[in-house]
Parts: sequence; structure tokens; C-alpha cells
Amino acid sequence: MEGQLLTVIIVVATALIFDFTNGFHDTANVVATSISTRAMAPRIAVGYASILNFVGAFISLQVAATVASDVVDPNSITLLVVFGGLVGAIAWNLITWYFGLPSSSSHALIGGIVGAMLVAKGPGAVFFEEGILGKVMIPALVAPMLAFIIGGIAILLLYRIVGRLRPGPVTQGFRGGQVISGGLLALAHGTNDAQKTMGVIALALVAYGSLPAADPTPPTWVVVSAATAIAAGTYVGGWRIIKTMGSRIHKMDSAQGFAAQGAGAAVILASSHGGFPLSTTHTISGAVIGSGAAKRLSAVRWGVAGNIVAAWIVTLPASAAIGALTYGVTRLFGTGALGPVIVSGLILGGAAMLFTRRAREGPPVAAATSEA
Amino acid sequence: MIASIVDTDALLTVVWASLAAGVGVTAAFGFAILGGLRAIELGRTGRVGEAAIFAVIGMLGVAATFAAIVFGIVVLTE
Repeated sequence: MEGQLLTVIIVVATALIFDFTNGFHDTANVVATSISTRAMAPRIAVGYASILNFVGAFISLQVAATVASDVVDPNSITLLVVFGGLVGAIAWNLITWYFGLPSSSSHALIGGIVGAMLVAKGPGAVFFEEGILGKVMIPALVAPMLAFIIGGIAILLLYRIVGRLRPGPVTQGFRGGQVISGGLLALAHGTNDAQKTMGVIALALVAYGSLPAADPTPPTWVVVSAATAIAAGTYVGGWRIIKTMGSRIHKMDSAQGFAAQGAGAAVILASSHGGFPLSTTHTISGAVIGSGAAKRLSAVRWGVAGNIVAAWIVTLPASAAIGALTYGVTRLFGTGALGPVIVSGLILGGAAMLFTRRAREGPPVAAATSEA
Repeated sequence: MIASIVDTDALLTVVWASLAAGVGVTAAFGFAILGGLRAIELGRTGRVGEAAIFAVIGMLGVAATFAAIVFGIVVLTE
């Protein structure tokens, strides 16, 4: 039991590190629009997003329930499966970050768990149709398209409503509105993304025996720790973003920013209520592209749209393969804590090596961002 | 085939709720800006009656925006 306790501590810590990196990665998506339209000063935008990420994690538990119950069979889960899944997701995120390839942290997390479960218990323990396809893949495809359409309709409507007014006061008005829409977007991000980690920790607690498989609702300490990790990641990630913001962010007017943030927040919040764990970055990107396309078709960054499709196709199988491999390697050392300790050390070493090399070499040539 | 795999009701709810919230809130806030700015402009030129109408449109826009947000968050937390 002591070995199991050490293993569950390692798994929960790994899940929270994943949650932190998720917030770290996604700060740009949540605050970029508000900063680029000058609706908010960068420091205020980052702090504001961080607080609302934290609050958002408490709004709903539907997504956590989906991750804990509907993707893999909670009755067959083991701590090593959860660990393998988490390492698969983290490793895939590191690889895609290093090579500048598009990715999705959310899909990587689910792919990793599925891959580890396939090796551990076989296909019978994975809910392929109603779980993976019905609750993850199809909603993940629908959400960015929906955000694209809503962002487009919203901006066309806004231009029709305020089009004859003087631009200066209108810009000021929408900058004020972006305080609301940016806050809602941060709230939505915290709601959907923090819950994925809560769901994974709930699976670990089911495997440990401290939560029933029939009702794996995350306890309060899991909700608080996941909320804290994603909020801290958002805050820390913000300082990196502030430094690079000026050159990277696509310029848009404040009405477009308001429409894009509103569309993204609406789709993510509605999906969270439906229990769909989707890629928040893909959804926000869809809304931004939609609000740009409605104004001028050539403004669409088709490369970003292509990245979303590529990430949608590649991430799940790739992270599943790494999750499966990780589970296999960990299992070589038995079912105790030795395997997770060794694999954690390897991952930390690998991450340090990649960070050092990337710092020495500079950003990758294919400067696509890794997306969550 | 797809309909049997996907929870169609939940997905359709996401579609209509997102459309209503995303388009509705942005339009309501657009009317808030239209009403507010036009009320100020008309008030300056002495057209008090028209200014009052636009002021009401603006206030309704603000009220609709906040009401929709509060309603959405209440629904989410239930």
C-alpha cells in the first residue's frame, strides 16, 4: 500500500504539472486579443485571466465526469495507466513544441490515456464509439467550425449596428466590452481545461481505491489544486507572452476582438456544460479566424486552419502510441513506484535537454505554436 | 451511424446555445454602444426626444448583455 501511495502521489503531481503547462501554453490564446486591441494593459490582462481561470474551474464538473467515466472503463483503470497517459501527453507536447508542430494538449491527454489502457487491458476497456468519437473527436471538430461561424455572424452584425457611428468612440466602447468578453473567455478556458486534469486525477483516485468507479466525482481538494495549477500556469506563462507580444499578435479592431472572444467563450462554455472536452485553442482560433474572414476573406490565416486539422488528425494516435510505450516501459519495473520514479526522471532529463537545445538553437523554422 | 454514437441532443444544445449566446450578447452590446453614442450626439444637438429613445435602447442593450451573462453562468453552475 505504501508503494501505491507513492505512485498515486507521483501521478497526481504529474497531472498538476500537466495542468500548469496547459495554462502556461494557453495564456497567449486567452489574453492576446485583449492586448492586441489595447483593451487591457498586458500585466492587467494576464492577472485578470489568471484569476478567472481559477474561478472557472469551479463552475462545472461535466467535463471531468466525461474524462473520468466515458473515455476508458474506470473499473479497469490502474495507476500505471493514468501515469502512462499523462507522460504520453507531456512527451507529445514537448516533442511538438520542440519541432514547432501543431498539437492539442487536450487531445494528447485523452490519447495518452487511451494508448496506455489499450496496452494494459486491451480494446475492451476503451469506449471507442460513444466515448472517443462521440464525446471527443466529433465535438472537437464541430467546436472550431461553430466558433468560426458565430464569430463571423457576430462581427457582420456588429458592423451593421455600429457601422455609421464615429470610429473613435466605438473603439473605446468595444474595448470596454472586451473586459467582459475577455473575462468570459478566461472563465471558459479554466472551466474546460482544468476539468480535464480533475478527470484524470479522479481516474487515479479510482485506481487507488479512494473514489468509487461508479461515481468518480473529483473531491474538493482536486478541484482546488487543478484550479490553482492552471491559474498559476496562466500567470507565469503571461510574463513570457508579454515579452514577445508586440511582434507575434495579429492585429484586429476592438469590435472583431469582442466578437471573437464572445464566440469562443460561448462555444467553450456551452460545450463544458454538455461535458465535451474540446481543444480550447482550436475553438478560440476558429472564432478569431471567423471574425477576420467575415471582414475580409484574405485575412484568414489558412495555415492556422490547416494546423488545426493536422493536429486533430495526428495528436490522438501519436500521444496514444507514446502513452502505450510509456506504460510498457513503466510496467517492466513492476506495479510499484519504481517504474514511475524512473520514467519521471527520464522525462525530466529529456525536457531539460530539449529546453537547453531549443534555447541554444532559437525558435524552430516551422514556427507553428503548440496548441491546447 | 453517427447519430447513434454522438449524443445528438447534447451536441445540438451546444450549437443553439452557443449561437444564441455568441450572437445575442455581441448584438446586445452593439446596441448598447449604438444607443449610448447616438444619445450623446443627439443630446448635444438639442434633439432631446430622439436622444431619450436611443438612451433607452442603450440601457436595454447593457441590461440584455449582463442578464444573458448572469443567466448563462447560473445555468452552468446548476
